Amino acid sequence: MFNPLDHKGIPLESQIRNWRELNVEPIDPEAVDPYTRCRIITMNGIEVEAINFQHQFARVCPDQDVRRQLAYVRYVENQQQRVVNWLLPGVASVLETTLGYEQVAVDLTALARHEPDPYLKQAYEFGVLEDFDHLYRYANLYEMVERRKAEKVVDGLTEVMPGRPTVQEHRHPFDEVRTPYDRNSVDPRSKLNALTILSAEQQVMFYYMNVGPQYMEPIARQLYQEISLIEQEHVTHYESLLDPGESWWERLLTHEYNECWLYYSFLQQESDPRIKAVWELHLQMELAHLQQAADLLRRHDGREPEEIVGSAGLPEPLTFEPNKEYLRHLLATQIDVTKLGEGYVQEAHERFEWMQQQLHDGQKPPTEQVIDMHRERLGDEYRIETEGPHPVERLRAEGGTDA
Amino acid sequence: MPETGAPATPGPEEDVVDLLLAQHARVEQLFLLVIGSTGDTRREAFDELVHLLAVHETAEEEVIHPLARNLPGGGDAMVDDRLAEERQAKETLKTLIAGGVDAEGFDTGIILLRDAVLTHARYEERYEFPQLRQHVPGDRLRTLAGAVRAAEATAPTRPHPSAQSAKGNLAAGPALAVVDRVRDALRKPSAG
Repeated sequence: MFNPLDHKGIPLESQIRNWRELNVEPIDPEAVDPYTRCRIITMNGIEVEAINFQHQFARVCPDQDVRRQLAYVRYVENQQQRVVNWLLPGVASVLETTLGYEQVAVDLTALARHEPDPYLKQAYEFGVLEDFDHLYRYANLYEMVERRKAEKVVDGLTEVMPGRPTVQEHRHPFDEVRTPYDRNSVDPRSKLNALTILSAEQQVMFYYMNVGPQYMEPIARQLYQEISLIEQEHVTHYESLLDPGESWWERLLTHEYNECWLYYSFLQQESDPRIKAVWELHLQMELAHLQQAADLLRRHDGREPEEIVGSAGLPEPLTFEPNKEYLRHLLATQIDVTKLGEGYVQEAHERFEWMQQQLHDGQKPPTEQVIDMHRERLGDEYRIETEGPHPVERLRAEGGTDA
Repeated sequence: MPETGAPATPGPEEDVVDLLLAQHARVEQLFLLVIGSTGDTRREAFDELVHLLAVHETAEEEVIHPLARNLPGGGDAMVDDRLAEERQAKETLKTLIAGGVDAEGFDTGIILLRDAVLTHARYEERYEFPQLRQHVPGDRLRTLAGAVRAAEATAPTRPHPSAQSAKGNLAAGPALAVVDRVRDALRKPSAG
């Protein structure tokens, strides 16, 4: 398997791009492979995490020389983020991008399927059903405010129907905190999976908390407010899986290694040659970032990069692939699960009920109101159920859907 | 599978912005259909597209843009931009109608038209419609929805523009008839 530690990549001094190179042509939203959009959204989240992580690192780093090196690579990472996110077209609406974000969050189930550690796997399977439910709520909002159908965005690859109802997702913050993996014994693949899903969910949170108030429709503002709070829970959930004992040098290395893995993965699958060239270029840039991170690790931590990420090279590529059956299996088995302490339970325990009472206070949350409004205005609710009725009987539509 | 061909049923709350949004959605679907099909399917989808664009743009020119011009904060320049986009799209559309769906260059032309029309629609949705919702009373917007629907109902429903395209410059005739009928209906005093 490709081992990024064996490659030098593009020299750092050749990585600054000019305006012409930054001014990328966006994808055609009417003719795009939906997985190309998923890959763009994923890599944007990864680059945003790279930028934020390096800012945090710089703030606690007393070595001026290292701070300059971090500043340089961070500038390059910023240009990479601008290129990747600017591949999204201006004609797409905020809600269409939102549907894309939720589709990515759902499709990252691929991580759960290939996760070797059972506790981490459970954490990913738990989270998927919540984003799956958000997709359904936003799809109903989309038809109400833009009069369009989410089918246009998800393109038959994902069903649209209730997951774990968002109303049930508001838990006490104590119960979001998971048990971290052990950095010394965990499979290196697990480190990459955790960082990838964390980055994706964090970007979703940033996006919703910022775009929500741009809407004039009260229901849209409220829906973004509610779901952005769940995304915040997800960030807590996923970030707590990372071992807090990892050193800053070690974490820098893992970040760069993860970027190499994902650009390499997407390079293998990309159907659009123009976008493929972006993944190829960015992989070559990340290889040099990884070399720098490895040097810093050796110098300041006295360790070899192989001690952190193994010597076997990159794991199997991360792939986006049809997952309807897998999601239906999760719906049938995971729907009633909530969290207590660092584990998972089926009952609505005292702390869960307390939080529910504080937040809902006898009112229906926006995620319920949006479905009621859709029924009221358009006569039914929006779903795409291509593989039969909902696997959970009580979540089947009352009185039909328009799908 | 969802019934993607059917626009959402209009409810009693539907205003003119909802109506135009639903038409934008239908226009997007028809472009996909025209671009992705051949033969009679393509011809029929293109006919429907030409008809819908004619009634839709006429309603916007007669009702929406004049309303937007008088909004506080200078709606004039924004409306001029939208009208310029519409004029440009119409030129491309005329060429496509004249040549018909079998003409050489139709595949390229339809994509140019799609990009122009969908970008124009998004500009309206982003800069014009929210202004209307903010400044025009809701009951007036709802009344206008009724007026636009009634005006559109007066237009001949099956203009078959491309069926006559072999006759060259007569091609745009049926689409223009649609425009005239809708415009006349909207200019009657009762239209609001």
